[in-house]
Amino acid sequence: MSVFEFKSAQELGRTFDQHGVKYLFFGKSGAILLGYSDTTQDVDLYVDKNRDNCGKLVAALLELGFRLTENEQEEIGRGKDFIQLRNGPFDMDLIFAPDGIERFEDAWKRRVEKHSFPIANIDDIIGSKQAANRLKDRESLPRLLSFREWMRGIR
Amino acid sequence: MANIANYAADWEDFEAAAKRSIEQHMLNSFVHTYKPVLDDAEYRSFDSMEEYRHWCNENLPYWLGYSRD
Repeated sequence: MSVFEFKSAQELGRTFDQHGVKYLFFGKSGAILLGYSDTTQDVDLYVDKNRDNCGKLVAALLELGFRLTENEQEEIGRGKDFIQLRNGPFDMDLIFAPDGIERFEDAWKRRVEKHSFPIANIDDIIGSKQAANRLKDRESLPRLLSFREWMRGIR
Repeated sequence: MANIANYAADWEDFEAAAKRSIEQHMLNSFVHTYKPVLDDAEYRSFDSMEEYRHWCNENLPYWLGYSRD
């Protein structure tokens, strides 16, 4: 396992595009791609939970080098709500029903394209952390809110 | 309004980050740290976010910050 670098993101984006996977970079990893400065360990992807998209996702993950058993492929293809992957080139969490967001389509319409990646809007990233309300979310929210204000200032 | 002062310090960080290349920015941002229990399985899946939150609450060390309490 290696750390997620820009070239990893490019490879992920290229592979997902080739397979037609509909997804958004999400969570702190999404914020980092928007320019947020902080640290994180894994990549969070918000994936459209429909069977066709999940099937494409399985193919893309296998091509990227994630080692998935037949049962795991079936589970991902079915679209569970949360899947944690530590069996590939980098750590990744697949989120199909993030807290605070009703429908993928809504987040997709609000997405930001940066560095050719589809990234969830900072409002959705913050809203989801507010809804999740874990200790680590509460700790990171003041700085994320500060980042959103900074983004508004530079637009 | 104490946040205003914090914002100023944060904004210096954000401005500095914006001047770095995306490659460097990501090298600075994505780090690997071992998280006990969480990183001890190659694969986990949960049917619902509620099930995931419950599992985190019951199994992860509190200091990792995954608890809502």
